[in-house]
This record gives sequence, C-alpha cells and structure tokens, in this order.
Amino acid sequence: MPEIVSREARLSLLERMLLMRRFEEAVIHAAAKHKYIGRNHLYIGHEGTGAAVMAQLKPGDLAHTTHRNHGHIVGRGADPGRALAEIMGREGGLCGGRGGTWHMTDTSVGFQSTSAMVGGSIGLATGGGFACKQLGQGNVSVALFGDGVLDEGISYEAFNFASQYSLPILFMCENNEKPGRRETSMLAADRLLDIPKALKIHTMTVDGGDVEAVHAAVGEALARIRKDQVPVFIESQIEAWPGSHQHKPEFTTGETDISMAWDTGKITGPHADWIRQEPILRYVRKLLAEKAAAQADIEALDKKVQAKMAKARDFAEASPFPQAEGAILGAFA
Amino acid sequence: MPSEKMLTVKDAILEALFEEMARDDRVCIIGEDVGVAGGVFGQTKGLFEKFGEARVVDTPISEPAIFGMTVGAAMAGLRPVVEVMFGDFITLVMDQLVNQAAKIHYMSAGGYTVPLVLRTAVGVGGNLGPQHSQSFHAWVAHVPGLKVVMPQSPADAKGLMKAAIRDNNPVVFIEDRTTYNVKGPIPDGDVIVPLGKANVVREGRDVTIVAVSRMVQIATKAADILAGEGIAVEIVDPRCIVPLDRETILASVRKTSRALVLDAGHLDYGITGEIAAIISEQAFDYLDAPVARLAAPNVLIPCNTALEPLIVPNEQQIAQKIREMLNA
Amino acid sequence: MTEKTFAQAMFDALSISMEQDPTISVFGASSFVLGRGLPPADEKAFIAKYTTRLLDPPVSENVLASVGVGSATAGLRPFINFGTSSFAFEAHNQIVNEAGNARYMSGGQLKVPLVYHMFHGIRGIGGAQHSQSPQSMYANCPGLEVVLPATPADAKGLMRTAIRSDNPTLFITHTKLLATKGEVPDGDYAIPFAKGEVKRAGKDVTIVAMSLMVLEALKAADQLKALGIDAEVVDPRTVVPFDAKVVIDSVKKTGRLVILEEASLVCSVASEIAAIVAEQAFEALKGPIIRVGRPHVPMPYSPSLEAFCTPDAAKLVDAVRKLLKK
Repeated sequence: MPEIVSREARLSLLERMLLMRRFEEAVIHAAAKHKYIGRNHLYIGHEGTGAAVMAQLKPGDLAHTTHRNHGHIVGRGADPGRALAEIMGREGGLCGGRGGTWHMTDTSVGFQSTSAMVGGSIGLATGGGFACKQLGQGNVSVALFGDGVLDEGISYEAFNFASQYSLPILFMCENNEKPGRRETSMLAADRLLDIPKALKIHTMTVDGGDVEAVHAAVGEALARIRKDQVPVFIESQIEAWPGSHQHKPEFTTGETDISMAWDTGKITGPHADWIRQEPILRYVRKLLAEKAAAQADIEALDKKVQAKMAKARDFAEASPFPQAEGAILGAFA
Repeated sequence: MPSEKMLTVKDAILEALFEEMARDDRVCIIGEDVGVAGGVFGQTKGLFEKFGEARVVDTPISEPAIFGMTVGAAMAGLRPVVEVMFGDFITLVMDQLVNQAAKIHYMSAGGYTVPLVLRTAVGVGGNLGPQHSQSFHAWVAHVPGLKVVMPQSPADAKGLMKAAIRDNNPVVFIEDRTTYNVKGPIPDGDVIVPLGKANVVREGRDVTIVAVSRMVQIATKAADILAGEGIAVEIVDPRCIVPLDRETILASVRKTSRALVLDAGHLDYGITGEIAAIISEQAFDYLDAPVARLAAPNVLIPCNTALEPLIVPNEQQIAQKIREMLNA
Repeated sequence: MTEKTFAQAMFDALSISMEQDPTISVFGASSFVLGRGLPPADEKAFIAKYTTRLLDPPVSENVLASVGVGSATAGLRPFINFGTSSFAFEAHNQIVNEAGNARYMSGGQLKVPLVYHMFHGIRGIGGAQHSQSPQSMYANCPGLEVVLPATPADAKGLMRTAIRSDNPTLFITHTKLLATKGEVPDGDYAIPFAKGEVKRAGKDVTIVAMSLMVLEALKAADQLKALGIDAEVVDPRTVVPFDAKVVIDSVKKTGRLVILEEASLVCSVASEIAAIVAEQAFEALKGPIIRVGRPHVPMPYSPSLEAFCTPDAAKLVDAVRKLLKK
C-alpha cells in the first residue's frame, strides 16, 4: 500500500511539493515588496516530508505544527491566497490577520494550530490524539516539529503520555540539523530516535530528500497507527536550506528553476551542492528517469502551480488590512 | 570636563556585563544562543570571545532545566545572568522561578542566597504576535522573593544591571526590545543605580505620570505636547517595580494632586492597578481627580503590524487623558 | 435545596455535566473531589460508570495542560485537575501561550472549552510552595476565565457554567472550603459568570472578598455588628469576567471599601478592584480604599508564623475600625 505506483499519484505529489515551494517564494517576494518586518521560517527544502504526510491524511485527521508551517498548511489543502493573506496580516487571511506567519489555523481541513513555542505542537497533538481516540471515529493526530523540540521537557512527557494511553499519533520530526553541527538543538543522545524508543514508541528514520521514501514510511506508520491505535515516531533527515536563518530568510538559492532537473549545467554558485540534492529537483529527475513524466509534463505542472500562486498573490495583495479597532475583539468565545 | 559617551540601551547593558564579568569571576552568562551567536539581538556580542565557553554557556532549548540549573548554580556560589530569550518564555520557567528561586532564601532562613539575574526581552512591535510580545511583569511582581527591574534609559539600564548582578536575590531584569536602540549618555566609571529608587525624569506641577519602562519615553512625548498647552507634567520612572519606591511616587502625587499610571503590559490585574491602588490608599486626601490608568487592553497581541498600534497607549491618548483629568 | 458540602456540590455539577455530555473527560479525578467525603456508594458508582472518562495520567502537568488544549480544539470538553496550584506553574506556558491564545490566534476558528481546576490558598502548614493563590497572574493573561467560588451553591452553579463555557476556564477553589456546608439547589443549576452577589447587606462599609475570604468577611461582619458597624459583604465570584457593577453599586451606597485578599497584595486581584473603584467611583468615596492581604513574603511553615501572615476576620475588623475610626 505505501508504494506509489500510479503516474497520477506521483504527479500529484510533485504538484503538492511545487505548491509549497512556489508559495514560499511568493512569501519572500511579498516580504521584500512590503518591507514586511515579521519573521518567517520558510519550508524550502522540507517539501519531501510535508507533502508525503499531507498527501496521506484523511478528512478528519488533525495536524498541529510549528513556526515553520507555511508548507504544511498549503500542503494540507488550505487556500494559498488566504494563507498568504494571513502572513501579510490581511483581513482576508485564514485567521483574519490575528495569527500571522506563526499561528495559522484552518479548521476546515483539520489544520488545528501552529505554535511558535518550541514544543508547542507536540503537546497539542497529543491532546488531538486523545480526542481522536475518545471520539472513536478512526482519525489520527499528527505533530510536525523540528529536532529542537527534543531539547524541551514536554517532548518526553508527550511521548510518555502517548505511549501510556496508546494514542493514535504520528510524531513527525523534521530533523534539519547537520550531523555534528550543534546549531539549533543540543541532544546528548546519539540519535533522536533513542528518546521515543525508550518509551516504547515504534520509530523509523527516513531520507527526507526522497519524497517517495518518506511517503512509504508515513504510509506504513499511518496504517499501523490506525490499526493498532499506537503512536509512531518518524525522523525525516533533511538537508537544511541555506537561506534559512533565525530571523529573516534570504533568497540565497534564487527562484527555483525546474529545468535544472534536466539541465544540470545550470546549477552553479556557492549553494550548488544543496540545489543538486533538494527534494523537488531530485524527484523530477527520478520521474524523468523512470519515464513517469516528460519534461513538458513537468513544465506544464509547474506552470499550473505558478498560475495558482499568481491568483493567490493577487487575492492577498488586494485584501485590506483589518480595521485596527478589531484588535481588541476575539479573546473570548 | 564631561567625557560622557553615548550608548544604546542594548550596548549599555552589554557594557555592564563586560565590566561585571571582568570584576567578578563568579559572574557567568547562561542561555540559548548567548555564546557563539552573541545573542539573538546581539545583546551578548563579544562576551564569548572574551570570557570563553566556561563563563558564557550556550544551552539546549530547555528553559525549565536551564533556569533550574541557574538557581542551583547561584545557591552554590556563582552569580549567573541567565537569559530567557523572550518575556513570554518566562511561562516556561515559572515553576523554578516561583517555587524555587523566589523562596529558597526565605525557606532556608537565609541559609542560601540566590544571586541571579534573569534577563528577558519584552515589547510590542515588529509583528511578533501573541507568543512573543507579552510582558508578564505583574506576575513576577506578585511573587514574594523576586526583585523586578524595568529600565528604559541607557544609563539606568547599565547601572541597574550592575546593581542586579551585585544583589544577593533573584532579580528579574525586563528589557523592552523597542528601547534597545535608544541612545543616551553613559556616565564614566563604575556607576551603580540602586534597586528600588525611582527617578523623577521630568518635573511639573499639574499632574503626575507614573510610567513603567518604555512608557516613560512615550509619556515624555505627551508631556511635550501638553507643555505647549501650558500643562506641566511630572514624570516618575519607578525603574524597579519590586521594590517599588512608593515615597517618590506619593511625594509627586501630593504635589500635583493628580495621577496617571502607564504601562505597556496588560491593564487588567497588572502593575497599573497596583500603583493606582497604592496612590488611592495612601494619597487619598491629596487627590483632586481619580487615579487614571492607560495600558494594553485585555486582549492578545495580534501578529499584525496593522493591529499592533492598538495595544500600547500612544502620546495622543495620554495627552487626551490628561486634558480630561484636568477638566474634570 | 439540600444541605451539601462544597466537595459534594462540585461533584454534583461534574456528574450532571458528564451525564449530559459524553465529550467530558476528567484528568486527575482521584485528587479532585473523589475521596473527599462523598457518600462511598455515589463515588463507587461514579467511578464504575465512567471508567474510560476518568483518567489518572502520569505526573506531567506540562503535557497534561497541552493535552487539554489539543483535545478541546478537537471536540472534547476536558476537565483537568492540577491539584495544588503550585503544580500548575509547571504548565504555565501551555495555559498562557496555548490555551489562552488559541481562539484569538485562529481568528475565532478554534474554541477551547476546557476547565483547569486547582486548589489555592493557605491550607495550614502548606509552606511556601503549597499555600499560593495565583489567581491574579492568570487574570492578567487575556483569554482565560478565572472563577473563585466561596459557597457550595456557588461552586455547583459556577462549575456548570465553567464546563459549558467555550473558553478555557480556571476554576480555583480553596482546600479549606471542601468540607464547608451550605444549601445547594437540586438538579441542574448554573450561575452565569460576571454576576457577583451581595452576601450580606449593610450600609456603613463595603467589604469585597472571594473564595475562603468571603467566609472570613462574613465572620468579620458579625463582629463589626457588635461594634455598631453595618458592613456589606460583596463576592464578585468570577475574576474574569469581572462584575465591576456589583462592587461599584455597593461602594456608592456605603462610601467606603475594604478588600480582603488571600494572596500577596502586590499586583493582586484586590489591587485591580481598588484601581477600578478608585477610578469609577471616586466621587462616592468618603475615605481611602483599604486592602488587607498577606504580606509580600513566601508563606512560612510554622503555624505561628503562618497565622501572622494569614489574612482573616480579625485583621479585617481592625482595618475596618481604623477606616471608620471606631
């Protein structure tokens, strides 16, 4: 079941990844254009993980994610125009401009919340898993989080809780830490997996740059979670995007040129190594090599996504800022 | 010959850290990204290079453990300055702060002291949203055993940081990010600003403004506007909210008979209520008008630059409030 | 009406709610009202009936608070008991940054219908860590409702409202109240939030108190009566949302206000009430607003030291006499 065979499914997965990528590029352009001073944590380079997860969630499943959430929410099917409007603080945003880049919610697709507190999503998703079990509708809860979350004490408590109560939760860790480089997280354990494993949670590890590998792992995990009502932990190893900085993303790798997949001579510059292995180009190369698609198919797909994003951008740009007086409304139901 | 130099609030605090670390080997810096990275706002820049990794300690993202460890280190003889990156993250260390740091000296009848400084950055601005813009200074003030410092000028920030490091109690040092680039003169030498001593930053006869932290700067703008209308505003900067210099505040209100209390934190159950309650209780017979308050409304802080201006009172609102108080 | 203890009244509200709504689960049930003098048969039947909905989770306040938020936004109505309020400090981040913020951040898409229950107050040799009254700290965070009942009837009525509320509600009760008795309405009974009550009418001075302090205020009012002072006792019952009107109306009548507060006074609920009244009823005041609370020190353990620090009827009587110069 986890294996993707149909051509349509493979192209659909690629389309999801492209949407995530083109969305983030639109965010960078919007940030530059509007001298936007919020802090964005972009999803570029993570698409292989998010797309594989979001493609396999069913209606009714719940997602809780982190500050690096843009790819997750559009990957889950939220309207990209409304998502972009939210990031730009506009009235037409998913949360009416109250949440912004860090706090996006779209209940219509089960996208519960994105917390900017390190470890926020993991506890909430445990609650989501508890609700799924109590409500008995066969839904699962997913937490997407970075490796830094395992520094926080709540991760231990959440794993213990989920394991004790056999809750249907996918703990999806997007590990973008370079081995040996202690930039964001510092864990004394050799492997992230050792922590959930000690609490009797089934663990898997996967190459986050290979979307079909992630898809297979997530498929297997979700089947197990739904069938046995247990949590599963997956570590997806991701090569961090060189533009990802603590405060403001920089467009270091330029706009994605899909033709680099077949015209590798175009890949140059200081970040050539990253570009060569990034998940979208890598997947395109695979699809071409296996004759699942032709160059023209890929170009057409990218065009379709870009057209969708152009519409999204127009919507967001046209959406006004909220009436300032509205700021004081909405704390209570 | 005055040789006063000009520094920003951020650099003034950094200078205090350099001087105190050079003066006392027991002073160390602990926190996330305080070492190699030099702080997310550059607020610890250069300390790692000068004092090394033994005294400038980068930690995992484990606030409760970091803070618990700092309390233990302080009890054992160090004088750590621990950084909690954003004021909102104080929520993560509440247990260690409230149940340990604040109580150990009292519970051990003075057997232990906890000489630590918890420094943290707060402030509304820059679209950081409801989890990175909150200021919960009223909570820490409510907890017996903690001192709470809220500087706004560079000279005060430096002198208060030095005093906080030399104090034998846990001191919560709350810096408003929006003041970080405010420049001002720094006196030469080892100048300490004692904790618990307010500063009358502007004298006036008509009305007293008690303004906490950055609100002093906004109040000053309001006072300039009102000066043009013949209204003389006195501004009192408490500098510390615990211990609070009640005498300076009350002396000013006894002189002017009117008081407005300003804060960038939430109005409800915040520091303005406390100061207003003190004035209403202890200067009741001097008051010609009710004690007024302006602070952030009881709402979350939106992640939106269009909505943020609604949160912190501005100089126009302050000036208008004072006109109303004088006409009442 | 039936005479019941405070604990029984809370149990009543909880069991009626659970009967009506299958989405309510109780975390930390055994330290909440169970084992606190309920009729053993009732307790046994309750436990047998709700085996899957009564949970005693690991000692993990941090994730427990978060599980509350996550399951509430997913459609449940969790009831989470932290036990002593000092333990809730371990979950402060989740309560403030997740529960309190979720609805607003989502532009109203999410609702967080959960109750956090905790015991506050000076319970007798609880020492510095287990005698705390953190209500004003929660009240200072927008998005959280804060309830402080004083009588069995109020406990039942407010608990029903707390469980039905679509907002995160902190239901803060005093350990010393659990065994107190009072007449409690039978059947389903709810009291709306932001509706204070005059617990005793009087004309000379208004005393505002909440939770256990209401009982002390009523005691003080009896003693003051003997001295010829007719005190009115007002209980706002909920801190957020707050019924300022019931307090201000009373002060307009009496012209004097004394607030009895169990917490340290600095940035307390009493301070906020004093500031509100000082601003909104300035003309009515015939004297300064007086706050009586615990001194600003951690609570000492020794009974003699503890008694010195505990706000009570005697300290309140002194303050009122001083204010009225009687």
